[in-house]
Amino acid sequence: MPRWISDEPGEEAALLEALGIPSVDALFADVPKKARVGRMGLGAGREEPEVVHDVDKLLDRNRPLSHFATFLGGRIAYRYAPAAVDAIVSRSEFYTSYTPYQAEASQGMLRALFEFQSLWVELTGLDVANASLYDGATAAGEALLLCRRIHEGNRFLIPASLPWEEKSVLANYASGPGLRVEEIPFDARTGRLDLDFIRKAVASKEVFGVLADVPNGFGHLDEGVLDLKSIIGDVPLVVAADPLSLSVLEPPGEYGADVVVGEGQGFGISPSFGGPLLGLFACRKEHLRQAPGRIVGATVDSEGRPAYTLTLQTREQHIRRSRATSNICTNQSLMALAFVVYASVVGPRGLATLQTSLAEKARTLATALGGIDGIQAPRFDSPYLGEFSIELTRGNSSDFLDRLRRRRILGGHSLADPRPTAPKEPERILVAATDSVSEKDIQRYATTARAWSSAGGRS
Amino acid sequence: MTFRQARYDEPSIWDMTVPPPTAPPPGITTVPERFRRKKAVQWPELAEPEVVRHYTRLSQMNFGIDTAFYPLGSCTMKYNPKVSELLARRPGAAEIHPNQPEATVQGALELTYRLERILSKVTGFPEISLQPGAGAHGEYAALLMVRAYFRDRGELPLRTEVLLPDTAHGTNPASASEAGFTTREIASKDGCVDLAALRAAVSKRTACFMLTNPNTAGLFEGEILEIAETVHAAGGLLYYDGANLNAILGVTNPARMGFDVAHLNLHKTFATPHGGGGPGAGVLAAGEKLAPYLPVPRVAKTGRRFRLDYDRPKSIGKIKTAYGNFGLDVRAYAFAVSHGEEGLKQASRRAVLNSNYLGAKLGKFLPRPFRTLVKHEFVLSGAPLHERGVRTLDLAKRLLDEGVHAPTVYFPSLVEESLMVEPPETESKRELDHFAEAFERAIHDTPENLHAAPRNLSVTRIDEVRAAREPRLSWKDLRNAAVKVETP
Repeated sequence: MPRWISDEPGEEAALLEALGIPSVDALFADVPKKARVGRMGLGAGREEPEVVHDVDKLLDRNRPLSHFATFLGGRIAYRYAPAAVDAIVSRSEFYTSYTPYQAEASQGMLRALFEFQSLWVELTGLDVANASLYDGATAAGEALLLCRRIHEGNRFLIPASLPWEEKSVLANYASGPGLRVEEIPFDARTGRLDLDFIRKAVASKEVFGVLADVPNGFGHLDEGVLDLKSIIGDVPLVVAADPLSLSVLEPPGEYGADVVVGEGQGFGISPSFGGPLLGLFACRKEHLRQAPGRIVGATVDSEGRPAYTLTLQTREQHIRRSRATSNICTNQSLMALAFVVYASVVGPRGLATLQTSLAEKARTLATALGGIDGIQAPRFDSPYLGEFSIELTRGNSSDFLDRLRRRRILGGHSLADPRPTAPKEPERILVAATDSVSEKDIQRYATTARAWSSAGGRS
Repeated sequence: MTFRQARYDEPSIWDMTVPPPTAPPPGITTVPERFRRKKAVQWPELAEPEVVRHYTRLSQMNFGIDTAFYPLGSCTMKYNPKVSELLARRPGAAEIHPNQPEATVQGALELTYRLERILSKVTGFPEISLQPGAGAHGEYAALLMVRAYFRDRGELPLRTEVLLPDTAHGTNPASASEAGFTTREIASKDGCVDLAALRAAVSKRTACFMLTNPNTAGLFEGEILEIAETVHAAGGLLYYDGANLNAILGVTNPARMGFDVAHLNLHKTFATPHGGGGPGAGVLAAGEKLAPYLPVPRVAKTGRRFRLDYDRPKSIGKIKTAYGNFGLDVRAYAFAVSHGEEGLKQASRRAVLNSNYLGAKLGKFLPRPFRTLVKHEFVLSGAPLHERGVRTLDLAKRLLDEGVHAPTVYFPSLVEESLMVEPPETESKRELDHFAEAFERAIHDTPENLHAAPRNLSVTRIDEVRAAREPRLSWKDLRNAAVKVETP
């Protein structure tokens, strides 16, 4: 029996005696016999050393990213987090607390969340941020629903270049209210959004929102996004932005975004096989009462001291029930804490320096891969920061990536939808510069890619 | 014990240094001028020790399970084992990427697979997905599966109504409406589902009935088999909200009770930390009817290899990036194998014993609106406090001064001035007695003191009305407000 369940000698007997019952069984007398189960069929409990041994044996069968030169990116980044971040996140006053319903007892978390909201407001140039959502994809889903609450229509436009996972998540969020998600085609050379398509769609008066991602799903920057708001007018614009990129890029609020969402994992949160992540969400003040999720506000206590509390809760499920702006209850508060601690330790200059260094590495890699037969690198003729796409004009992504992996290089990930029902797509790979790769790793990547090319595109 | 929380006059992080520079960051030459940031991010440049001290001080102005008994009803605030924290930080758990080749993450896939098998045995359902981000997200995904199921059967145009008891968690109706259903609440009788009312409510329009058992009043729905029969006879499905699973491990399970699909919260029953509000980890458990609709990918085993299976043509697709909150799955797995069959059973038995014991003790001070045989939590009504001009809220704040967290208040809403208390299995009799004594001191304190509470925390009673009336939601708002004050 784990020692976490109290079992002092005589303790259970004393509890039973106080209740005047002979056995705990009496407390389950109201469970009908026909609904009872026998054994669950689980193993015997294990002592802590055995558990550690068992789990370590499992985890040792994984190859951690440090084993490789890692060029994996997309929404989930492999990025060094200063040890100070985990030191704070590991404070059990934070991680063992609940949603701060009793504000007076939870000022620490509330203030940290208020600082987190403030930081996302500063990065995005918008007015208000919530205290987090599950991840970037679900934040985009919530943004879609918000757009529908503030604008008429039944069509939501998203880039065809958006990662397939996010398209699928968005399709699900749209399905409840019976809305349509439509893909905006992109220019074959630049990967830029087809603005004429958007113009025409918006003219139909059926579009209730447009989403664009910065950088886009191919890793590139699309200057057209800066002009989107002037094209769509009062149709809400959602920008899905990488937070690190916002250290050097114009805040989306400056070019008309009504909602800015993002995936915050790269700020101090380990990749952990894809979770927990951090959904970022900010919007304009006029849409505040339609926003999803917890929001922390500043106020004062009865003696006039600054104090913080969850506020505007009449939007939320525990008050508004079926008319709530979202069903979200549990969010990602601890990850929001990691985000603000990370940004504060690294500082705004540090973030911009990091983004610049990743962009330089990416450019070096793209240049090194550039002349190789069978690889178009970068695939699109558009600027990029730390990530870009390549396209294989022969062979396939999985052979290419396998060959790299045998040289201890994780060369990126295929952008194709892995579901058998998905239409066949070109062999595109998203390649990311990470802070762990060296100049030598980049040259090794290029050498291996050349060997793949000379072998005729076989692994 | 006299309790005093730390009370630092800790400035906000932006007040700790000179205002940040506004000059733009150095441009990246390849980025077009138009796309470049014109003004630096307004955030302070601080030395690491300053940042660490700031957040360490904030942490000391926060209750956690590690600092205080935390009997929040419906939240299952059990001790979060330290060994789980240790394991989730191993490089083999934290430093792996969801887009790594399957061959390099076999251990992660196997751990996921094993946890799914454990949860299958716990729930009685054959198929499990760990993709949902939290409980409400699991509800939402399950309801999308319900929709897909009825669409396939050609019944969707008709079956658009989700029924729920008036004791349901707020997430239930919110998830139902987000998934495109209309909702209808069924009034309870003595805290439980009124079977006659349910029989009258089910129809050809019923898609599903969402139920928590034991329910949010802490009562076991003894007529659960009749409830299942009623819903199924109308052609509807029965949904299990697993928030209260901690009461019934090894006693009964949702499949046996007649449910068709369930969500569980690993952050409740399986003790992954609540993180100040999250992350959680939701689980979907489905019977034969709904299993084909579970999100992709599923973890599959072929021979001795584990892989991600995307070949599920009826699947609703993705509801979240990657495969769920793996970091929490590691913690939950460690918790489950530490307990094993007998340990999990004992967890439920002790949680229910604790709850009945504490219920009897606190029942001396406030009325218990329903029957007193409860499961893992119980409800009290603070209505009699009115006579002294005191509310449940005042009692909750006064409890904080005792160094214990308050119970959940004002839920379930069918009880006037309700308090909902959940003392999980990790609490000793000593802690329960201590809480009962604190409760007694608090409730017998003078109305003046109750109104003035809390006094021993980092702040006194917070003006929540002002927070909502004049929303100040970021540093930017505070700056703007400060400017307004200075301008005549």
